[in-house]
Amino acid sequence: MLIGGGGFVGKELSRELTEAGAEVVSLTSKDIDLTADGAAGALAERLSPGDAVVLLAAITPDKGRGVEPFICNINIASNVAKALSECEPSHVVYVSSDAVYPMDETLVNEASPAEPVDLYGAMHISRELIIKSEINAPVAVLRPTLIFGADDTHNSYGPNRLRRMARDKEKITLFGGGEETRDHIYVSDVARLIVEVLTHRSAGLLNVATGQSIAFHDLAHKVAGLFDADIEVELTERQNPITHRSFDVTDLHAAFPTFGFTPLDKGLEIAHSGMMDGAE
Amino acid sequence: MSKIKVAFAGMTHLGLNSAVAAALRGHDVVGFDPDTDLVAQLSAGNLPVVEPGLDEALKKQGICIRFSSSIDEMRRADVVYVAPDVPTDDDGNADLSPVRKLIDIVSGEMKSDATLVVLSQVQPGFSRSLGVDISRLYYQVETLVFGQALDRALNPERYIIGCAEPADPLPGAYLALLESYECPILPMRYESAELAKIAINCCLVGSVTVANTLAELCEASGADWTEIVPALRLDRRIGKYSYIAAGLGISGGNLERDLAAVVKMGAANGTDTSVIKAAISNSKYRKNWALSQLHESVLHTEGDPKIGVLGVAYKKDTASVKNSPSVGLLSALTDFAVTAYDPAAQLPERLMSDVDLAVTPLSVADGADVVVVMTPWDEFREISLSEMASRMKGRLLLDPFGVLDGAAAQAAGLDYLTLGVSPDN
Repeated sequence: MLIGGGGFVGKELSRELTEAGAEVVSLTSKDIDLTADGAAGALAERLSPGDAVVLLAAITPDKGRGVEPFICNINIASNVAKALSECEPSHVVYVSSDAVYPMDETLVNEASPAEPVDLYGAMHISRELIIKSEINAPVAVLRPTLIFGADDTHNSYGPNRLRRMARDKEKITLFGGGEETRDHIYVSDVARLIVEVLTHRSAGLLNVATGQSIAFHDLAHKVAGLFDADIEVELTERQNPITHRSFDVTDLHAAFPTFGFTPLDKGLEIAHSGMMDGAE
Repeated sequence: MSKIKVAFAGMTHLGLNSAVAAALRGHDVVGFDPDTDLVAQLSAGNLPVVEPGLDEALKKQGICIRFSSSIDEMRRADVVYVAPDVPTDDDGNADLSPVRKLIDIVSGEMKSDATLVVLSQVQPGFSRSLGVDISRLYYQVETLVFGQALDRALNPERYIIGCAEPADPLPGAYLALLESYECPILPMRYESAELAKIAINCCLVGSVTVANTLAELCEASGADWTEIVPALRLDRRIGKYSYIAAGLGISGGNLERDLAAVVKMGAANGTDTSVIKAAISNSKYRKNWALSQLHESVLHTEGDPKIGVLGVAYKKDTASVKNSPSVGLLSALTDFAVTAYDPAAQLPERLMSDVDLAVTPLSVADGADVVVVMTPWDEFREISLSEMASRMKGRLLLDPFGVLDGAAAQAAGLDYLTLGVSPDN
């Protein structure tokens, strides 16, 4: 049961699980408004004991990082926890976010303190606690870094936005000199990892990142290089301090030793082709 | 020099090396252990530990040492050392029960004027809380280094002696024994001596952690840590023997035990120990260097990768695998085809079915996509890199400790990676 299965990650996960031979039920906000009173009952009716459940549903930060989406997201978790506490799931996977970590934590691993700096991060850490405390089943909490892929509907600062800029304006404009480093993971890698977690019925905390970070400036040139046209990479006057984020993915290697990531260049190429084929 | 009658109780690493060193210094030594099988093995010359010079020392003409399980031997000794190794768990927590057990056994059997010396490393507060007659109880700090144990026991830098009352003179026989080693003797309170040992190890860990942190920066910035190290050693405030070679974190169990002890003491006393916690965290992180390189370069390429590992021991000249980075790596590679070789150490039982053992160092290279040197044994320096390259399928050679000649490896067509040096250098 994928709760929030209609989103960017949910669709990819649904594809991967179906390919792996799983019976997949995907719920979207059109099926149930999980922010509403009484949603727990409606959700419970669709669940059966023994189901493995992946919670992906969230109001994403591109729709706001204020109090309103915070409360809506907490309501979603509260309703899901209530429904799951009644339905005896076999396994629950909660897809959280690396936004739970402060930006001054420059090399993040699973032992890094979760000290969110905004309500979006606070929402995820709160939802993690709600799910873990209310549900009597093995719970895996996954904290993905920045995810990219052709079907991404969000426009957060990363490969997807850079690609759209290049396509629409033949120019990529960076914040400052694009010095910041980040870890970007291809969406199918996230989906494949969730499949691994489900297959092994893993419990506990895992960051979902590649362990390889790249500066936005270098990323922009990689994205630009995939276009036939000359794409200008424009730098701007820096408004905010430079921050960096890298991941130590030792725990991921330990959990899934044979799992290999899609190399960044290959992922960017697939995402680029997907866009040019009209996926977005 | 007078010949002192000395007994050492507990014939594992510390006790055995210390007993042999005392015999080499000309004293009349008994090595006592309640384990009759162990005593039989020792008496037959079969040693349970690997240490340079230890076998030869026991065969030396005129050396006065015998091994026994008879408690009667204690009644003859002027100085009785209690020196079993202290086991630690994976988090570095020490189990002092073997020390207590031996103290119980020997303390009631000693001569009334004999001196009891605890040589095993204990936690602060241990000596005074023992409940034995403290007027003849001393705690002597050991600074055993695996692979140099006999040499350090024979030629100590100084003696740190924990006493009930440091102003009182040491008993005659004990003082004569210590003076025969011709090094400074520093009497102090039990508590100071107990913490001195931990302080020494924390200083070492500080150096190791700084070196490993900066070595990683070198890898990312084009600098070469091996060029920086000699400059640091010539700084008198750092010193030529400082622990600043790049490595794979902290291993062996002893340093980890002291770090765990400081964190525990800090928690109980409301003391800030964040610097110690940082060292523990950095060690765990750095230990995974080779695994990270393998994941990045080899494990997910096409086909089934084959990995050759040179070295299983936690460092050279020892058979100990306690917290060994090599064992950590092998444990993470059980889904892959791995062949390993070590001149002395055995694989832990749990890895026996997953790892193939090679009988020569070069055999690990046969058909390998990558060879990783995980223990800096001297004999690996003799390996022909051109032959290694010709036997390998792939080109990657990971040599974290820089045992092999990087330039020769590159000349043999291998991609050579080592700690503290940028791959682009």
